[in-house]
Amino acid sequence: MRAVLIALALVLAAPALGAALSVNEVASELRCPTCNTPLDVSNAPAAVDMKAFIADRIERGWTKQQIIDALVEDFGPSVLATPPKRGFDLIAWLVPALGVALALAAIPIVTRAWARRPRGEGAAPPEPTPEEARRLEDELRRLGDV
Amino acid sequence: MPSSSSPPSGPRQGWDRRRTIGAVAAGVAVAALVALLAIGLLNKGVETSIARALDAGERPPAPDLELPVLVAGDGVGPAGGTFSLEALRGRTVIVNVWASWCIPCKTEAPILDAIARRYRERGAPVLVLGIDVKDLSENALAFWERYDLSYPSLRDRDGDVDGALQTTGVPETFVIDPQGRIAYRKIGEIRSEEQITPVVDDLAPA
Repeated sequence: MRAVLIALALVLAAPALGAALSVNEVASELRCPTCNTPLDVSNAPAAVDMKAFIADRIERGWTKQQIIDALVEDFGPSVLATPPKRGFDLIAWLVPALGVALALAAIPIVTRAWARRPRGEGAAPPEPTPEEARRLEDELRRLGDV
Repeated sequence: MPSSSSPPSGPRQGWDRRRTIGAVAAGVAVAALVALLAIGLLNKGVETSIARALDAGERPPAPDLELPVLVAGDGVGPAGGTFSLEALRGRTVIVNVWASWCIPCKTEAPILDAIARRYRERGAPVLVLGIDVKDLSENALAFWERYDLSYPSLRDRDGDVDGALQTTGVPETFVIDPQGRIAYRKIGEIRSEEQITPVVDDLAPA
């Protein structure tokens, strides 16, 4: 019974015992507003201030989402490293997915087209003109003499 | 003799139709992608019409920016509300684009404050107005308190100022005449009151 209770306590305490939230974990989901690079790799003055803000909020026990929401409140949604999955920004997610879907759908069509193409179609060389045939004969004869 | 212009057989016809639909779909997809790229490039383009107009001796119209109020004062407010630059028609406005992390902004803030106090004491229709950009609001407010600044400031939360005023960075200062036209632009730090006051005095003699 005691073992069950300990296991239950561990399960309930798991989030708290898990790896503490790091500044870079939050920063990697944001971008520097002045240099447009990911916040975790930026050392611009604005980025330094934002990382200090993140560190302070982690210390105060804020969750990752609370910190991100606060920064979006200050800098607008453009501070997010990836666009939100709603409204016009949804296009940024849909277009690549649509591209992949179209490419996948095209594979059977293209392979069927290749499979149906008659062998040699379009590959046959044109017949030589009489002049070309004569020159070919001459060249072969000369090679034969050598 | 078989005719070369005879209609294609059933399966062949179906296959051609599928191929046409596929080509049209691919064409639409490519066109959409090109359109998105074009929109992106047009939006990212650096607009320089304000600089060109000022260089030509013209006064381009100031954009009608409506921004949240960071610090109220001189008829701009209330803090937390929004305020439109258009509401300042009839007054000469010295607009200073700044950020708390910007080192030259720290040097020029007291100079801008001295300019604001000078015109306020004279009762002149001249206003200094800050616009805080790309900044944490709590740092911006701390900056205001640290330098004991008396003029109001707006906040550019959504990055509208870059495009509207065609700024290249911080600090940048604009003088907007009472008709709402940009009369002067200074890129970089204001080092003395005399860099700004002659322009302002020409527009609104005290």
